[in-house]
Amino acid sequence: MRLRAEHALAAAFLAATLALWEALNRLEVVHEIILPAPSRIAVGLWTVVTLDGFPREVGTTLLEVAAGFLLAAVGGIGLGVLTGTFELFRRAIYPYVVAFQVIPKVVFAPIFLAWFGYGVESKIVLAAVIAFFPCLINTAVGLRSVSEDELLLLRSWVASRRQIFWKLTLPKALPFVFAGLKTAFTFALIGAIVAEFVGTYHGLGLMLETFTFALQMHLVFAVIVIISLLGIVLYAGLDLLDRRIVFWRREEGL
Amino acid sequence: MSILTVAKVSKVYRTAGRELVALDDISFTVEAHEFVTLVGPSGCGKSTLLKIVGGLVERTSGEVVFKGEPVLGPRRDIGIMFQTPVLFDWRTALENVLLPTEILGLDRAEARQRARAILATVGLAGFEDSYPSQLSGGMQQRVSLSRVLVYEPDLLLMDEPFGALDEFTRERLNLEIQRIWLERRKTILFVTHNIAEAVFLADQVLVMTPRPGRLARVVRVPFPRPREIRLMKSPEFAALVFEIREVLGVA
Repeated sequence: MRLRAEHALAAAFLAATLALWEALNRLEVVHEIILPAPSRIAVGLWTVVTLDGFPREVGTTLLEVAAGFLLAAVGGIGLGVLTGTFELFRRAIYPYVVAFQVIPKVVFAPIFLAWFGYGVESKIVLAAVIAFFPCLINTAVGLRSVSEDELLLLRSWVASRRQIFWKLTLPKALPFVFAGLKTAFTFALIGAIVAEFVGTYHGLGLMLETFTFALQMHLVFAVIVIISLLGIVLYAGLDLLDRRIVFWRREEGL
Repeated sequence: MSILTVAKVSKVYRTAGRELVALDDISFTVEAHEFVTLVGPSGCGKSTLLKIVGGLVERTSGEVVFKGEPVLGPRRDIGIMFQTPVLFDWRTALENVLLPTEILGLDRAEARQRARAILATVGLAGFEDSYPSQLSGGMQQRVSLSRVLVYEPDLLLMDEPFGALDEFTRERLNLEIQRIWLERRKTILFVTHNIAEAVFLADQVLVMTPRPGRLARVVRVPFPRPREIRLMKSPEFAALVFEIREVLGVA
């Protein structure tokens, strides 16, 4: 009952905001070039979605995000397992991981364009590089979250290293790994779009730029809405997977 | 005959040139099926001693002999239980109890049957499929107790197992641990800082003093079993408690 009331409140807030926004445009307080009205953006959405080339543009960006994310997940979790498991390995590479982490990875976008060209490769690489670190660090931290007593308990049963990893260390790390994956996904989306800004043949980032240069602001906002929806839907899918697999995590959201 | 002999065990921590003697020359013996409590203030090294007996912490010198063999590392016939339940959130109560049997590679069907029976004896019938987060602190500790009983170790090491629970739950669990010990004929080494609890449970109380951790006195407790809570009102009980208080300098 309370939940429904909360939803109703949120919906009412959205409706009120859109109505005010629309009114400001109709009354010409805000000009179309600055911020088009919601109704104009809705029209723009239809225009964009029905464009001949639209499936190709969406498909390109989706491919870049998915491939970049997968590369980052496999590489990041793999290296995270090595880092979290082997002390020597951790000592050898962790300082560089931390140092590299503070570099804003988008600075590599032009270089990757020069190395890998205008095709999807340069976008996949940037998406992967940005998304890689949250995977690595969360995995490494998660694997070290085992407590002294938990370890003593497993050892009291004369558990082998392998048993300790599968029965204790890995499940303890899973909530961290998933938190890393969720961050990594949003990073991959950022990486792909930014890389497209720098130079590309196809993609939603290209559409965004093209419409902006043509001052078709309602189409620009339509593309922003599409990118946001893609992000939300894919994130929700990842979140669902997280809740299924790491079902024991206690919710501590807002 | 004695099942456990601890002979001249010492533990010294060396940090940055400094030496900290945690345990100094501890010797005692435990008979088979005996209930022994280790009592002392925090910092007297009783937990460390318990882990040394279990082969989980290395000793600096001395010897631990269990069933005629020196203890050189963890053994499957010695089980340990901590102050916190240390349950695994992703496993149900039953699955938590089954974990050691999986690690030890025991027969699955038989282990499952035994785990259910033990959960029932500790009063958790009907909670087999509950997750730890759905159980109270006392219930979690009962799951933890079932988990150490399920693979039938001969020696149970208990490190203040009920220390984090409220007084009522603790008393009830003390009576239950006595019942289980009487039924299953285990040998128990039980650490506590509660003197009354130590006397109530024990055949012999090992009294330890801190800095460095030393065995100050061994007190025999003659009261017959099963003991009931009202034993704590008797003058004989009070006299033993007072004797230990004197040793610990808190009389």
